[in-house]
Amino acid sequence: MAQNKETNSTISRRDFFKKATAASVSAIAAASVIDPVKALASEDDHAIMHHPKWGQSWGDPVTKNLYGIPSAYEHNNTRRYTGLLASGNFRASIAVTPIHESEGIITPNGLFFSRCHGGTAHIDPNEFRLMINGLVDKEIVLTLDQLKKYPRVTRTHFIECPANGGQEWRRPQYNSLQFAKGFMACAAWTGVYIKTILEDLGIKPEAKWMLAEGSDNSEMGRSVPIDKVLDDAMLVWGQNGEALRPEQGYPVRLLLPGWEGNLCVKWLKRLEFSNEPWYAKEETSKYTALQPTGKAIQHFYANEVNSTVVSPSPEKDWKHLEDGDVIEIEGLAWSGMGTITRVDLSFDGGNNYVNAHIKGEVLPKCWTRWSYMHTYKKGETLLLTSRAMDDAGFIQPTVDQEVFGNGVAKANYGKDKTKGMGVESVYHRNAVETWEVTPNGEVNHVQIRTV
Amino acid sequence: MFKSEQYKMIAVSIIAAATLLTSGQAKDIESSAYNGLWNAQKDISGGVYYPIKNGQTGPYKVNTQAFKDSDVSKNITGVKAASNHGRVPTANEIKAWDKDINGLNEGLPEGTGYVDEGEALYESQCMMCHGDFGSGGAGYPALSAGKAKEIKRTLTNNRWLNPTAEGPSRVFGSYWPVASTMWWYIRDAMPHTKSKTLTDDEVYSLTAYMLYINGMKVDGEIVNETFKLNKEKFLQIQMPNRNGFVPDIDGVNGLENVRKFYTNPDNYGAIRLKKGEEPCMSNCQQTDNIVRVDGGITDFNPPISVERNLPVKKESASYKVSFDVKAAYEASCTMCHATGVAPAAKDKAGWAPFMEKGLAKIYKNGLEGTNMGMPAKGGSSLSDEEFKQVVDYMLKF
Repeated sequence: MAQNKETNSTISRRDFFKKATAASVSAIAAASVIDPVKALASEDDHAIMHHPKWGQSWGDPVTKNLYGIPSAYEHNNTRRYTGLLASGNFRASIAVTPIHESEGIITPNGLFFSRCHGGTAHIDPNEFRLMINGLVDKEIVLTLDQLKKYPRVTRTHFIECPANGGQEWRRPQYNSLQFAKGFMACAAWTGVYIKTILEDLGIKPEAKWMLAEGSDNSEMGRSVPIDKVLDDAMLVWGQNGEALRPEQGYPVRLLLPGWEGNLCVKWLKRLEFSNEPWYAKEETSKYTALQPTGKAIQHFYANEVNSTVVSPSPEKDWKHLEDGDVIEIEGLAWSGMGTITRVDLSFDGGNNYVNAHIKGEVLPKCWTRWSYMHTYKKGETLLLTSRAMDDAGFIQPTVDQEVFGNGVAKANYGKDKTKGMGVESVYHRNAVETWEVTPNGEVNHVQIRTV
Repeated sequence: MFKSEQYKMIAVSIIAAATLLTSGQAKDIESSAYNGLWNAQKDISGGVYYPIKNGQTGPYKVNTQAFKDSDVSKNITGVKAASNHGRVPTANEIKAWDKDINGLNEGLPEGTGYVDEGEALYESQCMMCHGDFGSGGAGYPALSAGKAKEIKRTLTNNRWLNPTAEGPSRVFGSYWPVASTMWWYIRDAMPHTKSKTLTDDEVYSLTAYMLYINGMKVDGEIVNETFKLNKEKFLQIQMPNRNGFVPDIDGVNGLENVRKFYTNPDNYGAIRLKKGEEPCMSNCQQTDNIVRVDGGITDFNPPISVERNLPVKKESASYKVSFDVKAAYEASCTMCHATGVAPAAKDKAGWAPFMEKGLAKIYKNGLEGTNMGMPAKGGSSLSDEEFKQVVDYMLKF
C-alpha cells in the first residue's frame, strides 16, 4: 500500500513539472477554463480543464421523468432484431438482449429479450383471470389481486430461448455476441410457487401433466410434467422489483426455472391438469430437436450448461489495448440443470485450459459471472474458448462432440447416425463458443472443428 | 391437501429412476469431480433437484411459516397450509375457456368441412402469408412441401458432412405427429391478423385443405378436391411421422419414459463427467481448423454500435411532422401488396377494379379490413390519417 502511494506521488510530481513547463508555452484564455489555471498544454484533458455545461446550469427538476429512463447517451445499449429471424411483420419474432453491455447477473427490464408468436399483448390487469381446472379436487378462478395474496417468493433465474445459438450448427453466422448468445436474459422474479396454490385445490392422483395457456393472439400453450409443477414452477408477476413488462407476459407468466423460455408461457390465462400430454403447436412443429436418425427429441426441457466470453467480444474488441496492459477477461456461465461449479478458459481454442474464477453470486439456474486476468501482448493472436460445468455433473461439449457424438473417433464422424445431434436440430445447442482475437485486437466469432 | 396417491406416483417415479441409476450407468451419473454442491437426486429433465430443507432451498431462505421441508422422494412438497383464495368457476366459464384438444383428440368438437371450401378460405385469408398451396413466404412457415410420406424421408437428411446438401423438410404432413395440433392452432391462433374468428366448420375445411395439399390419405381414402372432413373422419387421421419423436410421452408410462431418457446424456448430445473424472486440461483437441463467419447474418437493427453518444434525432423528431409514407408502405403493406396477393403500389391495372368502387370505399376497406384477407390498416398501428396517406401513395399512378 505504502509502496503504491509513493509510486503514485512520484508520477504526479513528474506530471506536474511536465505540465508546468508546457503551460508556459501555450496559453489559452477561455471563460470556462478552471481558474486559476489560465494556460492549457496540448496533453491537458479538455474534459478536466474546463467547466462542463452541466456544472454551470440547472439540471432537470425531480418532477421530470417520474418513471426514469436511461441516459440519452446509452441509446446503443438496446435490444436488436434481424429480418432473418422474423415472420413477416415481426409479430412472430425475437428481439435479443445486448449481453455485451450487460453488467452483473441482472438484465434491466427494457433489455430483456422479447419473443412472441402473435405480437406483444397488452392486457388490462383488471380483466386478468387465471383459471385452474381439470384433474384437481377444486377448480378455481383467481383475479390478479387474489393471486398476489399467496406467500410470495423471489428467485433470480435466467430465461433462455432454446434456439439461442441455434443458427450456428453448421458454422458461425453472427459476428456478434448479442446475436450469437443474446436469446436470453436474467432477472429476479417475484411470484408464487404453483405448489402453494395446489395445496388449496388438491390434485388428483392421475394428474401427470399441466397445460399452460396464454391469452395472447397465438394462445400459446405448452405441456408441463407434474414433477416440475410440484418442484420450483412459479407464477410470476414481478420482474426486478416492478411489474412484468408487457413483452414478458404482463401481468402474469409461468416460470419454469432453467427450462426452455418457450415453456414459460406469457400472458397466462389457464392451467389445466390432465393424465395425458397435449400436442401444442410449439411443442411439435417447433421446439423439437431433429437428430440424424430422423427422430426428433420432443419435450426437451432444460437448457444445458453453457458459457461465453463476454469481454472481449466482437462488439467489445481489444483494439485499444497497449502491450503489457493487464485486462480482465469476463464471461457468463449458466445451466438450466443446476448451479455453475466451475469454468475453464482456453487461449488456444480448446486445446489447453486454465481454471477461470467464478465471482459474485452463484445461484441455481442463474447467470454466473466468471473472469480471468490476462496480460495483453500487443500483436498476439488468441482463440478464447470458455467451458462451464454444473453441479449435475454436466460439462459443455466441443462443437464436434455435440454434432458427431461424445467419444466418436474422427474417422467415424457421420457414419453412425445414432450418435450426436447432427446439425439439423436447431434447438439446445450448447457447444463451447470461441472468439478469435486478431493481432490488431479485432475479435471474431469462430468455431473450432476438425472436419 | 395433496392426495397421498399423487405422492405415491412421484415416489414410484423416483424409485424407478433410482433403480436406473444403480444399474448400468451408475458410474456415469452418481457423482462428479465437483463435490459440495452435488446433489444425487435428479429432476425429470436430468438436472438437480433442490429440496426445501431447514427453511432453505438451494441458496435461498424460505419462510418456514409457509414452507416446511420438502422431499419429493418422501412424498413431501414442502407447502405448509392452504390459503383458499379465489372462487370456483361457473360451468359456463369453464366451457368458454377449456377448449383445448389433446393428442387423443379429446376436446375436438363436431363439425364438417370440405377441401374446396378450405381452399377458398385459404386463398382469401391465409395465402398472403403461407404462399400458394402452403409453400410459405414472407417469413411465414410453409405448410406443405409435397406428398407427406415422400417428404418425411427427408427427415434423415443431415448436412453434417456436406453443408450444401438438401436438408430435412419439417412441414405439417412430413413432421407433425398428430393432426389435432393443426385444428387447435388454426381455431385459436389463425388467421394471424384476426385470430379466433373462424367457425368450427371453417376450421374443418382448412384442416381438410391442409391434408389435401400434403397429399395425404385418411382411412385409405385419398384426400382430393371433393373430400369431406368431419369429426368421425378426423379421428381416423394417421400422421406419417406419428412415431418420429422421443421420448414417448403418451400413456401411463409417459413421465417415466421422459425421466429415463434424460438419465442418458448420449440421448441428447450432452456430456456428464464420470465419478472423479477431471475434464481434459491439456492437449485436448486439434484446433487448426478454424471455421469463420462466411457472409453470415449482418442485418442487425439498429446497427451494432457501442458508442456512447446522443442519438441522431431525424426519425423520431420528424416522423409525425413529415410522415414517411413509403417506409410505412414497405413495413406494413408489401407483405401482400408486393407479393402478388393484392395489387402493388402504382399498379394502375391491378387497382382498376377497386378504383371503380371509389376512393371512399378503398379507404373504408383498408381502415376496417375485409374478409378477403385485408387486415384493418394492414395490421399496422398507423393513425387513420397516416393510413389514408399510405393509400394515396399507393394510388399515385
